[in-house]
Amino acid sequence: MGWLKRGWGAIAVNDSLRVVFSMMELELRRLRNDRTEVYTRSVQPVLWLAVYGTVFSEIHAIPTNGVPYIDYITPGVLLQSVIFVAVFYGLTLVWERETGILKKLLVAPASRYATVIGRAVASGVRAIIQVAIVIPVALLLGVSFIPNLVYFAAALAILFIISGGFAALSIIVAALLKTRERFMGIGQALILPLFFASNALYPIALMPRALQVFAAFNPLTYAVDAVRGLMITGNLALLPLDVAAIALFDILMFAVASLSFRKIIE
Amino acid sequence: MTFAIDVRGLKKVYKGNVAALAGVDMDVKAGDIFALLGPNGAGKTTLMRILTTQFKPTAGEAHVFGLNVVREGAEVRKVIGYVPQETSVWSDITGYENLLIYAKIYGLPSQSRKGIIYDMLESIGLRAAADQLVKTYSGGMIRRLEIACAMLINPKILFLDEPTLGLDPSARIAVWEKLTSFKEEYGTTVLFSTHYMDEANAYSDEVAIINRGRMVTSGTAEELKHSLRGELIRFSLSDHHIDEHTLDQIRGLERVNSVVVTDSTLSVTVEDAEIALPGIIDVLRRGEIPVARIATTKPTLDDVFLKYAGTTRAPSGGASTNGLVEKGVGSNRRE
Repeated sequence: MGWLKRGWGAIAVNDSLRVVFSMMELELRRLRNDRTEVYTRSVQPVLWLAVYGTVFSEIHAIPTNGVPYIDYITPGVLLQSVIFVAVFYGLTLVWERETGILKKLLVAPASRYATVIGRAVASGVRAIIQVAIVIPVALLLGVSFIPNLVYFAAALAILFIISGGFAALSIIVAALLKTRERFMGIGQALILPLFFASNALYPIALMPRALQVFAAFNPLTYAVDAVRGLMITGNLALLPLDVAAIALFDILMFAVASLSFRKIIE
Repeated sequence: MTFAIDVRGLKKVYKGNVAALAGVDMDVKAGDIFALLGPNGAGKTTLMRILTTQFKPTAGEAHVFGLNVVREGAEVRKVIGYVPQETSVWSDITGYENLLIYAKIYGLPSQSRKGIIYDMLESIGLRAAADQLVKTYSGGMIRRLEIACAMLINPKILFLDEPTLGLDPSARIAVWEKLTSFKEEYGTTVLFSTHYMDEANAYSDEVAIINRGRMVTSGTAEELKHSLRGELIRFSLSDHHIDEHTLDQIRGLERVNSVVVTDSTLSVTVEDAEIALPGIIDVLRRGEIPVARIATTKPTLDDVFLKYAGTTRAPSGGASTNGLVEKGVGSNRRE
């Protein structure tokens, strides 16, 4: 009977993957019809690079191991825009809760967990397209990326994967808060502390002790380190740790989001 | 015989001890179109959401085609289609894309997917609008698209929560034509809730009225109307006078409930106008009372609804009075 069990397992995995891919396709199709949000969302990261990045590059106030400051913050800015997309993806779910879409998805003959994880992963599609707009701007501003396609692809994969984790976090928040207004407030309050209490703009060593502890538990710290290593510095010493931390964060968020998803429709 | 829906003693208590369902029993025969009527807050949506496995009942059992909605939820979801009250399609993609995404989520085989989608678009009358964004659709088109999404897996039963709410009369007819054709073509059982009595009357095989979480009556629309035992026959008399003797004779007839004369109109309430009418006419003819016009009014489903569910008006009126009082107290407090 063992083979039979494995067979069913394979079907379940197949089914779940199918739902996840359907959700990703949905995002691509929505983007094809309306890209305004992608453009307006890229204003902020572009300003971070063009204004903040350029000014602080001149000052040389932050020790970056010889990396130009604008290059140093590029991974952080990319991650910030990814997280913006991911965290506000929960808003889509709040909207889908107000309409009947979530109810209908729950009644569909597909795994509910796959539905949740699919929605979370699908935010990565939007995030990557966001990144695709910011990177040319960074190139224009003179940021020099490591010319290695494998490294570059790996960095994109990290951005995609962490996006899923943060989108799952936003689904959890959406399930708890349920209304648009409350969500907007929390969304902002979530992103900026994560961004500032990470190594996105300055090395952790410069921070006060308490903030250093917080940064160590901040998944963004690990994502920034991984992307910075793969795109800018080539220092991959901590990459395995980074990947492990990101995977742990994702698994945790996916699990909690799956459990809290039922709450969102009640 | 397996019922499409079999509900026994179903209860649902929400947080804060709000009893949405207070013990519902219900049977729906396979292949029937079943109308669920009831005032707002009666429990229609709660019942439908339990039957579609969205949440669990507090007590009682519910089966859909013999499958337990709590223990066999995944199996239930394979045989049901559901159209919630609120819009349930993505408005920023096209009608075709909505069907495509749902078809993929439902796991329709890729080789037949496109064919099924286009057949569905054709039969629901959206073939021409398939490649337009849903945000350009009218309310009726959106509802039909939603029904098409729910029908993709050819479900054994379709749940529709107020499917024609806010639609104009011609859009309502279009929706019902499709639903009746699915019933005829595929034998799809349909359970729908509505506030439109005429729809329940015209399209349902059976009607149930739910009020304050309880099933208060059920049967075919005809049975329910008949159960009121109150058809009204009005005779417009050309002569203004009718003698007491004739009236007494009419009162004495079998199945006549009441007789009233106002001005030149004689109103007789009977159980069944078709049976009672010849007798009354005989009496009038013997009394040589000329009749200019006869009109019969049968009770409508509205009358049935008002009888079984209309009583909620009084307490809710009371509640709003309380609300006023509370408001008054509140403003006093503020002073």
